[in-house]
Amino acid sequence: MLRTKQRTAVVVFLLPPLGLYLLAVVGPILYSLVLSLFEWDGLSDMRFVGLDNYRQMLFSDDIFWTATGHGLVYLAVSLFFQLVVALMLANLLTYISRGRELVKTVYLLPAIVSTVAIALMFRRIYSLEPLGLVNAALGAVGLDVLQRPFLSDLDTVLVAVSAPEGWRFAGLYMLILYAALIAVPKELEEAARLDGASEWRVFTQIRFPYIRPVFLTTAIMAATYSLRGFDIPYLLTNGGPGHASELLTTYMYKTAFTNTDFGYASTLSVFIVLQCIVAVALILGVRRTGRDAS
Amino acid sequence: MSVQVAPSASLRSETRVPVPAGRRRLHVARRAAPALVTAIVLVQIYPLVWVFLTSLRPAGEFAAGNPFSLPTDLTLENYRRAWEMAPLPTFIINSLVVTVVSNVLIVGLGMMAAYALTVLGFRGSKVVLGLFLIGIIVPVHVALVPLFITYSRVGLLDTYQSMILPLAGFSLPMSVYLFSSFYSYIPRETYEAAELDGAGPYRIFLQITAPLSSNTVITVVFVNSIFIWNDFVFANTFVLSENLKTIPLGLQNYMGAMGSMDWTATFAAVCVTVTPLLLIFLVLNKAIIYGLESGATKG
Repeated sequence: MLRTKQRTAVVVFLLPPLGLYLLAVVGPILYSLVLSLFEWDGLSDMRFVGLDNYRQMLFSDDIFWTATGHGLVYLAVSLFFQLVVALMLANLLTYISRGRELVKTVYLLPAIVSTVAIALMFRRIYSLEPLGLVNAALGAVGLDVLQRPFLSDLDTVLVAVSAPEGWRFAGLYMLILYAALIAVPKELEEAARLDGASEWRVFTQIRFPYIRPVFLTTAIMAATYSLRGFDIPYLLTNGGPGHASELLTTYMYKTAFTNTDFGYASTLSVFIVLQCIVAVALILGVRRTGRDAS
Repeated sequence: MSVQVAPSASLRSETRVPVPAGRRRLHVARRAAPALVTAIVLVQIYPLVWVFLTSLRPAGEFAAGNPFSLPTDLTLENYRRAWEMAPLPTFIINSLVVTVVSNVLIVGLGMMAAYALTVLGFRGSKVVLGLFLIGIIVPVHVALVPLFITYSRVGLLDTYQSMILPLAGFSLPMSVYLFSSFYSYIPRETYEAAELDGAGPYRIFLQITAPLSSNTVITVVFVNSIFIWNDFVFANTFVLSENLKTIPLGLQNYMGAMGSMDWTATFAAVCVTVTPLLLIFLVLNKAIIYGLESGATKG
């Protein structure tokens, strides 16, 4: 810490960033909390309704519960790509001696493509007429029975809109997990191998426990980003057909800007925030119990 | 770790000295890994390759052909049509304005906040840092309705500022954290020496702290540029007029009614809009990957 004339300097340095942050982030959050207690269509007078919006959301809004359930599926599908496949690839990558940099770069590429471009792409990938990539691949391996228009089939649409989210950021999480894996002390692994351990056991008994803190941090990042997934489902299906791929975010957006029900939309966004905080708290809880146990 | 194991050598050693089972399995893993890695990476990257190939292929051939076949004819015709269908240069300029201004704010303000919190220090700096943490956890959607209402009251709807304000605001926390964690590694002695020379907090910031931050700046700028260049939700909510549309909004112009879409031209437009980020990414590749790896594993 510097010793001279700090007081004014702190104010000079801190005020502009804090001002922007309060204006653009903290202010709107508080405003949402207030709005969630009102009924308002943006034109007529605001009407204070207390907790009515929350009561309606929790007890008489089926779409809200459907969307919450869908959110969990969305989360599971994207975590499958971002944690399971990414960890598998990161682990495999430690066994190859050439081309690691290339793999990292190529795997990260989808992360720089905009969600609108991704949505355009996947609309064509999933289509049946004209024949898209997935259906063509299914046809090529003789699984014609599985061919379908994935985005209009009620059974497949939710998974279909979730997968692109997992796909696009898998590279980022792979990179982080890989960096953690190569930091595992080689002596530990070597000792296990000399004792005859298989590579699977090296992974489960040595590597994974060692990188567990990083894995959980990654899980927090991936989970909070997946819970706020919006662009791709909104652009691909807008929650449809019906509400078959509705997420809380798309539902909130439509409530706000299609139905102009700003009060209820704010209630939904307060819930989305709570959901993210709960997810972070849960994973941090797992992290703490893990540390106590070891 | 670039140990190359010649198969003949390992076979010989197995016949003479008994090699532990674990070591033998390591060789198997080393041999199987490249194939598996290649397979996973191919699946991951194929959609992008396919978009690129499609953008170079005659529209008729694409409509009729197998999506896995290689183009027989290469053409730039799709790019010409993409250029005619929408004002791509306008979209690109708008995206550049929003991205550059936001990044200047994020980097400048992020460094200032980190300097105040970590280098200058004051009572309650932990509380302020915690306040910034909220911005990392909270999804951006919560700000849409309040900002929309506020903007329409003060006449900010449909302006560059309407996008820049929330984009910079929501990126600021991560920037503050990255700069703070970097500043905490700068040794005290550096500052003490400067203070003895009579430098005040402003000169120290401008002449010591800021110039040292260049690596962190690259990480911060790249991560935020992806987020800002590709932002859809703020632009879609706050911008209405054609001449302020950023690339993601502009790309929607290509989305005709189902079935009537000009796919090859659309994919050409996608390729054009990805190019700027792609070039930056490929040039700064090493620095970015290093930054992402070290930034996250410390956390």
